[in-house]
Amino acid sequence: MATAARPEPADAGGIRERCVTGIEGLDNILGGGIPRGNLVLVAGSVGTGKTTLCLEFLVRGAEKGERTLFLSVTEASAKLIENLSTFEFFRQDLVSSGALVFVDVPQIYDRLGLNHEELTVEEIDLLLKSFLDLVKEVGAQRVIVDSLTSVCYRIRRDERIRDFMLKLSQGLAALGCTTLLVSEIGQSAGRYSLHGVEEAIVDGVILLGNARRQGDILRILQVVKMRGTSHSRAQYVMELTPIGLLMAPHLKGGRQET
Amino acid sequence: MVDDQSVLGIRELDSELYPYMPPGWLGLLVGHSGSGTPLFAKQFAQAMVGASPVLYYTTYERTEDVHRAFRDFGWDPDGVQIVNLSEEYFRNVLVHSLEVSQLRERGLKLSDLDGSKPRPPTPTTYNMISRLLADLAALDGRFRLVLDSLDFFFEVLEPTEVMTVVRQIRHRAQELGGQALLVVQGEFHERRISGPLEDMADLVVELSARPRGESYEHTLAVRKIRNHPERTRILPAKMTGSGLSVVATEPTAKPGRPG
Repeated sequence: MATAARPEPADAGGIRERCVTGIEGLDNILGGGIPRGNLVLVAGSVGTGKTTLCLEFLVRGAEKGERTLFLSVTEASAKLIENLSTFEFFRQDLVSSGALVFVDVPQIYDRLGLNHEELTVEEIDLLLKSFLDLVKEVGAQRVIVDSLTSVCYRIRRDERIRDFMLKLSQGLAALGCTTLLVSEIGQSAGRYSLHGVEEAIVDGVILLGNARRQGDILRILQVVKMRGTSHSRAQYVMELTPIGLLMAPHLKGGRQET
Repeated sequence: MVDDQSVLGIRELDSELYPYMPPGWLGLLVGHSGSGTPLFAKQFAQAMVGASPVLYYTTYERTEDVHRAFRDFGWDPDGVQIVNLSEEYFRNVLVHSLEVSQLRERGLKLSDLDGSKPRPPTPTTYNMISRLLADLAALDGRFRLVLDSLDFFFEVLEPTEVMTVVRQIRHRAQELGGQALLVVQGEFHERRISGPLEDMADLVVELSARPRGESYEHTLAVRKIRNHPERTRILPAKMTGSGLSVVATEPTAKPGRPG
């Protein structure tokens, strides 16, 4: 099936408008932020900070007056909010005002009768439409799907995942959304998504991982790919602090273990 | 007064059938529409009220209608545990299916998801088998059970699953000295289903009604009594304000009557 070219939001000078993440250091790495409308995979293994990065991305957007939507597949929203409240940057009023909206995707499965192991083509379209309907209703400019891997478990077949991703990408871009999709991968996966299809469709890949150094485990962030901007491909140490994430260059000195 | 030797709840017939029935048995009540099976099922149930727990499972009547029918014939519904399986099934499965269809058609809204408030998961299936067997498992002595009708089980479950339920009801009846009557519509099921069902049953009774003049002529046929084929017979029946009664006649052959 032929796919229409995605609109590329641009400012008057023809340079892609940026969605400033607001995460300390990340916007510099990205050359000013994520090009608005991009669909970005945030890939990493367990405990690498994927969800925290996504949550801060939303909160920073909501603080600036943007509408944001978190589609949570793997964790209950209530628990996410509880975890989020330990960060100083989180404000409960963003949730109560509707600037930061959490949706439990299992509730969508339940309401639409999608509680089975493998979705049909029609059901995949229905799920996609529901996501886009909610994005429209919220008026979301920033969207998180945590995790895409869990959604793809129910889609299963590569060709269907490809189709889902293409339609999701087009639909969200048409709505002007900048979207982060969480991808759960093993430590030595050699790719950025479960099926390998997902990473081919997205506009960007931010890889999170762990590195052992001198007895510590450091969280590492690397922007592998980001369409529409010049960005650093260097590895950065990502620190989770009460005030949010901080990026620092990953110095190669010292003994590094793998 | 409770008749401890009640078999079917028809006085004229019970005393004759009683000596041939094991302490625990499974009966099949076969009938066509208009033959009076729902009434007979209730008559069977009420006959043991006060003597043992009585469970009445209905799959197509409203619970209040079951109560009213009991009262109309002077029977006490309070001694009967009436379980409306179709209502439970509707509430658990069909209502959710309707909601799903509506939402699929209209499209999902945030308000359909209750925001971020956790909501208990909506059941998408309702296991009638578990429901019924859990009730049976809770019994610890003699009981009387009516399932009106088994046809509903065949509509929503696989035939093999229904047969398993029937076997378990029979086993429980034999174990505890219970009496279970399962209602099925006559000629509704093909032979590969009705055959094994009748094989499993210790007693098969069929009700029928044929038009005669301005009314109907009812008959009750005892089609099977396990190990006593000589006791089978067809009896004229009457529907009166106090239930179904028969004009009892002795079967022609009478060997092997237990002492």
